[in-house]
Amino acid sequence: MAEILSLDDVLDATVLVGKILRKKGHVVHTFTEEDEAIAFARQHPVDLAILDIKLKKMSGIEVLALLKEENPAMRAIMLTGYPTVETAREAISLGADEYCVKPIDRIELEEKVEKVLNARPRQ
Amino acid sequence: MNISQAREQQFLDVYQKITRLTSMVLDHQEVMDAIVRSLPKLLEIDACTIRLLDNSTRSFVLGAAHGVSLEYISREVIDTDATMAMVQSGYPVFSPHVDEDPSLPFRDAANREGIKSVLTLPIVFQGKLTGIMRLLIKTERSFTSDEISFAMALAEQVGLAIAHGRMFKEMEVQLDFLREIQALSTLVNSTLDLDRILSTMVERVAITMGAKGCTLRLLNPATNTLELAAAYGVSSKYLQRGEVENERNIKMVLAGEPVAIYDLHHDQRVDYLQQMADEGIISLLAVPLKVDQEIIGVMRILTDVPRVFSSIEVQFAVTLAEVGGTAIRNARNYRKINLLFGQIEEHERFLNDIINSLPHQLLVFDQRRRVVLANKVFLAAMGKEESEVLGMNYGDLCSSSVIGAISCPVDQIIQDQKMKPLVQEYRSGDQQHWFERTASPLYDAEGRIEYVIEIIRDITSEHMLAEEKLQSGKLQGIVELAGTVAHEINSPLFVALGTAQLLIEESDQSPIINELGIIIRNLQQISDLTKKMTSMTGFVSRDYVGASRLLSFTDDSR
Repeated sequence: MAEILSLDDVLDATVLVGKILRKKGHVVHTFTEEDEAIAFARQHPVDLAILDIKLKKMSGIEVLALLKEENPAMRAIMLTGYPTVETAREAISLGADEYCVKPIDRIELEEKVEKVLNARPRQ
Repeated sequence: MNISQAREQQFLDVYQKITRLTSMVLDHQEVMDAIVRSLPKLLEIDACTIRLLDNSTRSFVLGAAHGVSLEYISREVIDTDATMAMVQSGYPVFSPHVDEDPSLPFRDAANREGIKSVLTLPIVFQGKLTGIMRLLIKTERSFTSDEISFAMALAEQVGLAIAHGRMFKEMEVQLDFLREIQALSTLVNSTLDLDRILSTMVERVAITMGAKGCTLRLLNPATNTLELAAAYGVSSKYLQRGEVENERNIKMVLAGEPVAIYDLHHDQRVDYLQQMADEGIISLLAVPLKVDQEIIGVMRILTDVPRVFSSIEVQFAVTLAEVGGTAIRNARNYRKINLLFGQIEEHERFLNDIINSLPHQLLVFDQRRRVVLANKVFLAAMGKEESEVLGMNYGDLCSSSVIGAISCPVDQIIQDQKMKPLVQEYRSGDQQHWFERTASPLYDAEGRIEYVIEIIRDITSEHMLAEEKLQSGKLQGIVELAGTVAHEINSPLFVALGTAQLLIEESDQSPIINELGIIIRNLQQISDLTKKMTSMTGFVSRDYVGASRLLSFTDDSR
């Protein structure tokens, strides 16, 4: 069981992530606003952040950088509707553990979350 | 016969002999020589000299002598002014004791020669003094009136002989001169080679006039100085003695007046006396070279013996100089024209080189739209020779003179329209080429279009680059549009697909499960499509229905 933060500018999308992962026993905090998600993560360190790349005010990459600054041990999965080599490279360089493309299959999402949470911490 | 009669007979014999000689012989020198040789014996004198009057210097020059040394006859002063004045007035003058009289300027010379008395007689012809004859005696004696009359009569014969001889010689000389003028005229006018004309002139003039040499100097119009143009019979050392423009004789000739100098070494009108002496030049005749009253130079005839130039000779030299002057002017003009032609040809070659080195095709048309010039690039592109193309009509060369609403640039110019470049496509085998045609006018002095220049530029690579850029831009736009559309669809698709998948898990009713399965399958198809859209690198346009077309995306990475 892990504390998971889900941030997506589309409400339905972040709610769906919450539904899928709660079924797996995780505690999922869903957000559509970047400020709220960052403020929450500062107060309540999470184990995993699932971030959409396209957000309202910032990009998911920027949010990743801020969250990692606060909690370097936090794991991260990036979700995007338009994958590019640049965003993938940047996300990985900032410490993202996975880079997934929407629409991601429910089972694939569950497996990716499992894999990331169980992986050894990065050196 | 007594002594007096015998004497008279002798006088008569000598007189007859001299008269016969005068009528037969044309060279007055022979007459003078005969007289100076005959008189000493006849008149029982020791020597006789004849001096002729040089009208140009008004001095007496030696004509003939017998019985005296060269040193004596070469003295500067002949006699006193009083004696000379008397003689010039036509009276004989007897001077006794010439070796003693201290007032006589030639006393010492007479002393050395042993001369005691001198009888000076005028030589007259037609009332004019032409010379003097002097009878010299080394003993003390006087002359009888008969002797003086006889000597005067002989002197008259001398005058007559001289006059006849001179006249005949002049006529002969005139004829020779006329022939020579004709020959020289033919020669110098048969060629336009300036150097040949000049060298021929100086040689022929010197030879014809029996001179040592001849020089020719021409006025340089740019600097107004005399420059040596040709010379004959004189050394290069002499010719390099220095500038002659300041010599008085030159200035006189340049003013149009011929100058004849008998004795250069005692004349103020020449410079470089030493150089002249070294070269052996004694007398000089300088004449102007004229063309249409304009003086273009100076010709100088130089002799190595003392020479009195007769008026005929002077006229001859002047005429030759005029003949030569005309030929020189013609040759100079010919040279100038040749030079100009050479320059024009050089400019033409230069222009041709420029036109042929242009990387574009270039044509020039006249007002009738006929080709007057085509450069090498054009000829090579057409595979034609210049002779085939020159004179061709523009319409024959320009395959389509009107493309849409735009006529060929040449026509636009001729019709006084604003010139718009024309781009034409041309297929050669499997290769396509594009050419841009532009034209510009050449105006004449009145501002009318005289020629039109057309430039045909191969813009194939530029055109293809532009096409590529256009295609690339299109592709970029489509890729971005596809990416944007896919991106916008993906999020709601994720929600729909994920929710359907959750529902199917939670449902236990078979019909709902089936229906949800259909929904999920179709949503996954949409997902596949959006994946294609986000990963496309190209597209192909294909027919749809009617005139409508659709794109098929391509992914070069697969």
